[in-house]
Amino acid sequence: MSRALTLRILGAAAVLASLLVALVVSENLARTRGREVRLPMEAVDPRALLTGHYVALQLTQLQAPGQPCPPGSGLAMNPSWIAFTPTATGERVTGVAADRAAAAKFGPIQMKGTARCWGAPRDPTERARVSVDIGVRRFHASQDEAEAFDKALRNRKVGEVSAWAIVSAGEDGRGRLKGVIVGDHRANLTWN
Amino acid sequence: MADYRSRLEKDLDRWIADGLVPSTSREPILAGVAEPRRLEASAALAAVGGLLLGAAVIAFAAANWNGIPRLGRFGLILGLFLSVCGAASWAGERRPLARNVLLLVAALIYAAAIGLTGQIFDIAGNPRSALHAAGLAAILLAVAGRSCGAAIAALALLALGDWKFDFIGERGSPPWLLLGAPLGLGLGWAWRSKPLMHAASLATAVAALLSLIWLKTNAPLNLDGFGFALIFALLAGAVRHLDGRGDPVAGVAYGWWVWAALGFFAASGFGPHPPEALLHRALWLAVAGGVIALGLHDRRNVVTAAGVAAMAGAIAAILGDLGLGLMTAAAVFAVVALAALVGGFALRRPVRR
Repeated sequence: MSRALTLRILGAAAVLASLLVALVVSENLARTRGREVRLPMEAVDPRALLTGHYVALQLTQLQAPGQPCPPGSGLAMNPSWIAFTPTATGERVTGVAADRAAAAKFGPIQMKGTARCWGAPRDPTERARVSVDIGVRRFHASQDEAEAFDKALRNRKVGEVSAWAIVSAGEDGRGRLKGVIVGDHRANLTWN
Repeated sequence: MADYRSRLEKDLDRWIADGLVPSTSREPILAGVAEPRRLEASAALAAVGGLLLGAAVIAFAAANWNGIPRLGRFGLILGLFLSVCGAASWAGERRPLARNVLLLVAALIYAAAIGLTGQIFDIAGNPRSALHAAGLAAILLAVAGRSCGAAIAALALLALGDWKFDFIGERGSPPWLLLGAPLGLGLGWAWRSKPLMHAASLATAVAALLSLIWLKTNAPLNLDGFGFALIFALLAGAVRHLDGRGDPVAGVAYGWWVWAALGFFAASGFGPHPPEALLHRALWLAVAGGVIALGLHDRRNVVTAAGVAAMAGAIAAILGDLGLGLMTAAAVFAVVALAALVGGFALRRPVRR
């Protein structure tokens, strides 16, 4: 009886530890296999972006003056499929749809998440802002790295796109963080 | 509070003095009553030492967290979890208390490990899924090591996961506590564990509340809420029956489910589609009075307290119902008071043989 109890506890512990290891390995594989995209980050207040030793990521893109919101990106909160299209300044949201097939018509890369567009322009000088949430919200960094990001974000000019989240767009539609670029500094996720 | 043995000693001395029990029976009777288990000082010191050692390890790791490579951090967490599980398996049948506590600690470490693994490797995840996964892991540990502590942790983790509803967006999955609470009740009943029965009974009420939010039935007259009140009243009746037949843990659920039944009944008088206020308040008062009488009859303080709280709530609601007016309030109080007096008189009448 006592031996059976011991084996049961050790078996359960082994199963749970294996599951955790499997999660790390499978996520890392999916991150490696996915297509790398650069999503612009907008820092509203750099002081609020850094808390402790992680960088809070706010994925936001500013539309060109007078450019309308991407189709489907109203104020709806429901998770959907976001279509991205590569540009010189990183991948940009070009449409949002309820399913992947419909989103594919708006852009070659699709990820699950929410995209909300604010301030649809009423005249050619106004710029709409698109907030993207694909579940990637933090980049954990050492204190030195976090402070370097803070400094770079503070020194940016208003409206300048110089910070990106490097995301792996997986076959399953999930976005997985690979690293961040702030100014000239790129930090990648590694095993070290 | 004096334990049963010390109370029995005093009673025996009195009965012997009154000549009701022969003095020669004193020792055999007392020998048949086991000494209450006491936590030995050495065990308590060992537990405190273990906790402090754990705190020291955590503080050391936290102070050097950034200096440790990611794989090292992950290994540290896994190692801590496996060590605690190893200690629990070593405790085995010989030290059930230590095994129980260690598996509770292991369940909590695993819950933290899920979050920390996400942090170490920047794995984006849904907090709801993470808490549910931690709850399932705690159930596995509880069942494997027969630990009511880990089972209680599982219920708490499932409840926390369920509570992370997306109220605005998609509906999501039904509350996991709908399965977790009955499982907890089953384990608590099978293991005769009062702490687990307490947690599982409360979890049942929380599961019902979460289901009500999730279902969004929008039923007329808040019939969904009254339905849950009726279900809990029936459940309370069933476990009261078991309690009366000497079940050692059914009484625990009895008290919680009376509270749950009264809570759902009271809350259903408000909300989006309330029934006629006067009728609800009158029934509320009557039910509260009935529950007080039931609690006194069954000598269950927790049931009596539920009735008293319900009575206070009903009176407060009536006084708060500005639409009722003082005269109507007075009429409601008078009718219910009369019913209580008549009921009390009927119960006190001697039984004719």
